[in-house]
Amino acid sequence: MALIDLINEKVVKIPLESTMKEDVFRELVDLLYKTGDITEPDETLDAVLARELLLSTALENGIAIPHAKTKGVAALTIALGISPAGIDADSQDGKLSHAFFLILAPPDQSGPHLEAISEIALATRSSSFRRLLITSRSPEEIVELFQDS
Amino acid sequence: MSGPIERILIYIDGSEESLTAAQYAILLSKAVGAKLYGAFIVNTHALNDLLKSNIFVESEQMEYQRDLEQDAEKYLHHFVTMAAEKNVEVETIRENGIVHVKIKEIIRELDIDLLIVGELSRIRSRRDEFLHESERAMRTVRCSVLIVKDTDRVWDLFEEA
Repeated sequence: MALIDLINEKVVKIPLESTMKEDVFRELVDLLYKTGDITEPDETLDAVLARELLLSTALENGIAIPHAKTKGVAALTIALGISPAGIDADSQDGKLSHAFFLILAPPDQSGPHLEAISEIALATRSSSFRRLLITSRSPEEIVELFQDS
Repeated sequence: MSGPIERILIYIDGSEESLTAAQYAILLSKAVGAKLYGAFIVNTHALNDLLKSNIFVESEQMEYQRDLEQDAEKYLHHFVTMAAEKNVEVETIRENGIVHVKIKEIIRELDIDLLIVGELSRIRSRRDEFLHESERAMRTVRCSVLIVKDTDRVWDLFEEA
């Protein structure tokens, strides 16, 4: 499945209201619960937090890719939150994180999960893509960015 | 039998599209008397890349690889079972590595003259076109390629055969 088929205006939150990492995860899980993509929000959040304990998913250059396999979703699901101000999320380069891609999949869909995480990782290696992503001001701009890139 | 299609490779990735393509490949193989191979590639390149980028931790990489290897067994077994239903003998191949590169290698080594893939997702960005492994294989292999479309029709054909 193409990444752009998963990223639509309904699963993008700009700006994020939270200022703490765990709250960002909760905010994105809640967003997906409201869209109907998540059936078990508590179980899903627990899975994301459990993965986060192993190693921070806040990478470098303002990008974070929290992810988990969970029975709380029926299919591969993505939410994206943008924090223009940035959030201290224990990033690997010590910088603030601005874009949070929450990528969830059911336990039996490791293949599609791997593909989606890889695609996001590759897309966000581009500095111009990151700049456009982080300076986007609306979900529509984000969707357009993914279509154009 | 000698003809334009003697050895067919069907690439199976577990998607519904690839399994439909496998059904079509079985029917085609039977119709033209071609030898049929089914391949599943575990994308260890992507797993290693995520580990190097610190997106995955080692235990995660191992878990995903185990999952994908189980998927390979499951879907290749399903392929063999479907072929047996139609009295078609097939061979299965499981490899690890970069998917489109491995497909090209298999095609070269087995002298495959037709690659069959499932319907590709609708390309909606330039990045999709670049990243989709079936798409990349399709564009770069030396043999002819057949893309199987119309799932409902293929299912009906398979049931009726």
